[in-house]
Amino acid sequence: MTERSKDVVVEKELSFGPVHPALIEPFRIRLFVNDEIVEDCELTINMAHRGVERLLEGLPVERALLITERVCGICSNVHAWNSVRVVESGLNIKVPDRANYIRVLINEVQRITSHLIFFGHAFEVLGHETFSMRSFLLREVFMDLMAYIGGNRVMPSVPVIGGIRPRADLTESLKRVILERVDDFEKKYLEFVERVVADPLVMSRLTGVGLMSKDEAIKYHATGPTGRASGWDYDVRRMMYEYKPFDFNVVVLPEGDNKARVVARALEVIESLKIIRQVVKNLPEGPIVNRDWVPGKMDFTTMYFETFRGELMHSYSLDSQGLIRGYKIRTPTPTNLAAMEKVCIGDHVTDAVLTIASCDPCMTCCNRVEVIDSGKTRIMSEIEIVRKYGWRR
Amino acid sequence: MGLKATARKNAIHAMLIYAVGCNGCDIEVLNALLSPRYDLEQYRVLLTWNPREADVLIVTGCVPWQMAEPLKKLYEMVPEPKAVVAVGSCAINGNVFKNMVGEIGINEEIAGPVENIIPVDVKVPGCAPRPEDIIAGAVKGVPKLMEAP
Repeated sequence: MTERSKDVVVEKELSFGPVHPALIEPFRIRLFVNDEIVEDCELTINMAHRGVERLLEGLPVERALLITERVCGICSNVHAWNSVRVVESGLNIKVPDRANYIRVLINEVQRITSHLIFFGHAFEVLGHETFSMRSFLLREVFMDLMAYIGGNRVMPSVPVIGGIRPRADLTESLKRVILERVDDFEKKYLEFVERVVADPLVMSRLTGVGLMSKDEAIKYHATGPTGRASGWDYDVRRMMYEYKPFDFNVVVLPEGDNKARVVARALEVIESLKIIRQVVKNLPEGPIVNRDWVPGKMDFTTMYFETFRGELMHSYSLDSQGLIRGYKIRTPTPTNLAAMEKVCIGDHVTDAVLTIASCDPCMTCCNRVEVIDSGKTRIMSEIEIVRKYGWRR
Repeated sequence: MGLKATARKNAIHAMLIYAVGCNGCDIEVLNALLSPRYDLEQYRVLLTWNPREADVLIVTGCVPWQMAEPLKKLYEMVPEPKAVVAVGSCAINGNVFKNMVGEIGINEEIAGPVENIIPVDVKVPGCAPRPEDIIAGAVKGVPKLMEAP
């Protein structure tokens, strides 16, 4: 919640949640409204705490990815991948090229499904159900591909420490299927995007609403497409060695309104298609998993990762038996929460929910333990709480 | 088939309750009910967000302690006859969040699978279940509605 001056009289407060049947995910929005213009906004999370970081304490490192993959059902692969990247970086495990290529492939496939569900959600909030249904229909192409490659539509579970699972290896026929589906998808997708951009009603609702300048995006740390749509040229994929072999553009748009956030994601899908084609065409031969490693002592290692919504961090250490100590996850939504509160200020109240949806929130995976200590709220990691209060609630 | 059963059969309202899983099952349920590929609405199974007009409750997620009370309240709001479908491994047995614990032994955040809180009629296993399975599960709940007086 941003600082509000004392002398501003707030006419009404609109409050939703935390648990309401119409809100799919449990979170609370408070909108302070004056003359139907949003003066201030407050988002409260914390109804969905599952204690994932605590569950991981003391597990063998090979089993960590089974839990981290289930942190979020939309971006499941990135959590699994980033948790194995930490131990690969900490223990210097070499990953074969072919495994890296297939990891990139499944990640980009899932990026497209995530962006398409963003369109489905945003257009449903906007009130245009036809576009919403069309993006759900387009999404099925890539849900199928995920099932063909990984064996499951939602949890493909492709990476393991040192490589990928054998069942996710690409065969020649699967390569052909992927290329065919991608070509078919691109044709239909471009038609869909052209139709959306040409629609005057939709565009007039999106243009100029929910403005966020570049300085504000950096100040509130809006990562991912939300920050890039405000002109902040920042993408972790550029620094990742996995993405070095591929040629792709990072979509940066200067406007910073709702339209830019929708268009940025629409253009990112096309870049992802480019990467998928490069993976399938240049896939190197060779082994897919390196089993030549032993779990052992590892210092705290932190890895950053560009997910579909923003920046993801995983950090942990291993003790001498290879058990996890001090797991810490920061999902992209907590970094975008402050930006979401900021962007709806100053606009009409009917646009507020659309503006929040345009930042692509995922409340499931962003729940922190919140400690209210002598009136001051602060967010602590679970490790800090254990040090201070012990385990019992 | 009586008049009531005929009326019910022609407008089955399903309500989705998200009891904190990972969002995966959630979107698969929406896929099964709403999206044009699986589209249960063509068989007159409608998605609603109002518990007072719902017939079938679809519950996903592992139910943390914060959600136990709201879940019970929502269940009581639904008029008789009603059927509850628990979708996904989390709703059936708590999945990794309840069973795959490291050192803590018991994860106190989780109030248990859905069965601990409200009676469950149909279980759809899978992590996440396919939309076809969810449709089959929702259809299995229908006879309970039809046989009610």
